[in-house]
Amino acid sequence: MSETLLNEIRATRPAAPAALRERVRSIVAEKPAREPFLDRLRFTWGWRRLVLVVPAAVVVAVVAAGVIGLTRDDVGGGGERSASGPTTAVERTMRRREALKVAPNASPSLNQSAPAQAAPAPAADAATGSAGAAVAPAPGQLQRYEAQLSLRVEDLEGLSGATKRAQQIALQYGGSIASLRYEAPVTGSGSAQITLRIPTARVQGALAQLSQLGTILGQSYGIDDLQQQADSLQTQIEQTQRRIVGILTQLESPTLSAENRVVLQSRLAASRQKLTNLRESLRGTNAEARTATVFLSLTTEEIQPGAVGGNSRLDDIKDVLAWEGIALLYLAVVAGPFLLLGLLVWLALRLARRRQETRLLQQN
Amino acid sequence: MTLPARRQGAWSASFATTAEEHLDDVYAYLVYLTRDRSLAEDLTADTFEKALKLWRRFDPARASARTWLCQIARTTALDWFRAEERRRRREERVAVPEQLEAGFAEGLSPELEAALRELSAGEREVIALRVLLELDGEEAARVLGISPTAVSTRLSRALGKLEEKVTVHV
Repeated sequence: MSETLLNEIRATRPAAPAALRERVRSIVAEKPAREPFLDRLRFTWGWRRLVLVVPAAVVVAVVAAGVIGLTRDDVGGGGERSASGPTTAVERTMRRREALKVAPNASPSLNQSAPAQAAPAPAADAATGSAGAAVAPAPGQLQRYEAQLSLRVEDLEGLSGATKRAQQIALQYGGSIASLRYEAPVTGSGSAQITLRIPTARVQGALAQLSQLGTILGQSYGIDDLQQQADSLQTQIEQTQRRIVGILTQLESPTLSAENRVVLQSRLAASRQKLTNLRESLRGTNAEARTATVFLSLTTEEIQPGAVGGNSRLDDIKDVLAWEGIALLYLAVVAGPFLLLGLLVWLALRLARRRQETRLLQQN
Repeated sequence: MTLPARRQGAWSASFATTAEEHLDDVYAYLVYLTRDRSLAEDLTADTFEKALKLWRRFDPARASARTWLCQIARTTALDWFRAEERRRRREERVAVPEQLEAGFAEGLSPELEAALRELSAGEREVIALRVLLELDGEEAARVLGISPTAVSTRLSRALGKLEEKVTVHV
């Protein structure tokens, strides 16, 4: 392109006529009309805004997690923390685990006592080392009773003594040891995990004695209603018995054909087998209700009060942050397809508009 | 004078200065884009009317006032092209020669004038932005919504075509 042509274009640049200048001046002098409401709300996502918004959102999330983590007291309460300071972290972790484990199994018939079962013993009991607040199995009611007791003992010698004493207590209350795992290394902390089977009727006394073996770190109780199950089995047994009687009566009939006799005899055999199975199940249920299971955990591990409190708070903050992450992920998963669809529609519209613009610019 | 009124005054003065400063640029760009001085005048007025409404949103960090005004001018012109196309379609007329006000500008040679008229609006606008208004590649790209490389390619083609047509008319 010759420079002459370019210079000619530049030199003959159109200038706004005076009338237009006046027109624009009068427009400028006017008070501007208000922008439409929706246009005022429009938000454009420039990268500068994102640079500000994203860190701000992260800061808000972290601060929220910190505030919630430091202020929430979902299990025990401040009193409990001060009463059994050295044990809060472990205790709370155990309780949470146990609450999750026990609560869903709680029978509807136990609604009244269910919270107490999943809930920890009061702080005062924990401090004094008593399991007196343990939920007692209801007398005359078939229930599966489970208790978990976590204790700290002074040293390895204490661990050995407590383990032996736990076995004695189980035997003393007419129970037995279901399993025992004992670890006492030369250096470091020792521990023992003992599963005891104790008659349900006497488990309260056994728990009270077991809790004297060391400082309580945590305790939890779970009760499942077995009465309903036993009643159902009993009903089935009675129905089966009636069916057997009915079949026997039919078999005594002299007019019964040989073919029908064979069928009835087969049914009789099946019903008798079912009756045996049902009786065994009922016996099993009764046996389960008669014996409570106590999971006893002994440890010599020293827990620093400050460290524990700090860690637990940090854990709480981490928990909240994790939940925030999960919520964000959930939102992304749920809203993702819609956002993608919206983006595709937007891109398609933009492309169509661009094409239309190109066509218009070529035509004019 | 109350504070809001004073602020309003400063705000209006700022826009008035900008409008005064860039009126010729906007008008020249629209003349080249539409090939019609009378239409360019109307579109220029519309552009400043829209710009006045949007002035609060103008961010000097993102683009210069001239670039911003050219963007609005382009949107205004495209809207007009669209409306005109719809009108033509509605009236079932095909490409009726328009009564255009003669000449892009005073002093332009007839050959160059004729050659410019034969270019498409897309070609004329890139010449207007890069040659007439002397916007740099980045600014022109921002107005046209394409990359600076694409601007460079489009300009090169437009100027080549213009030279070719000028030669034919001579």
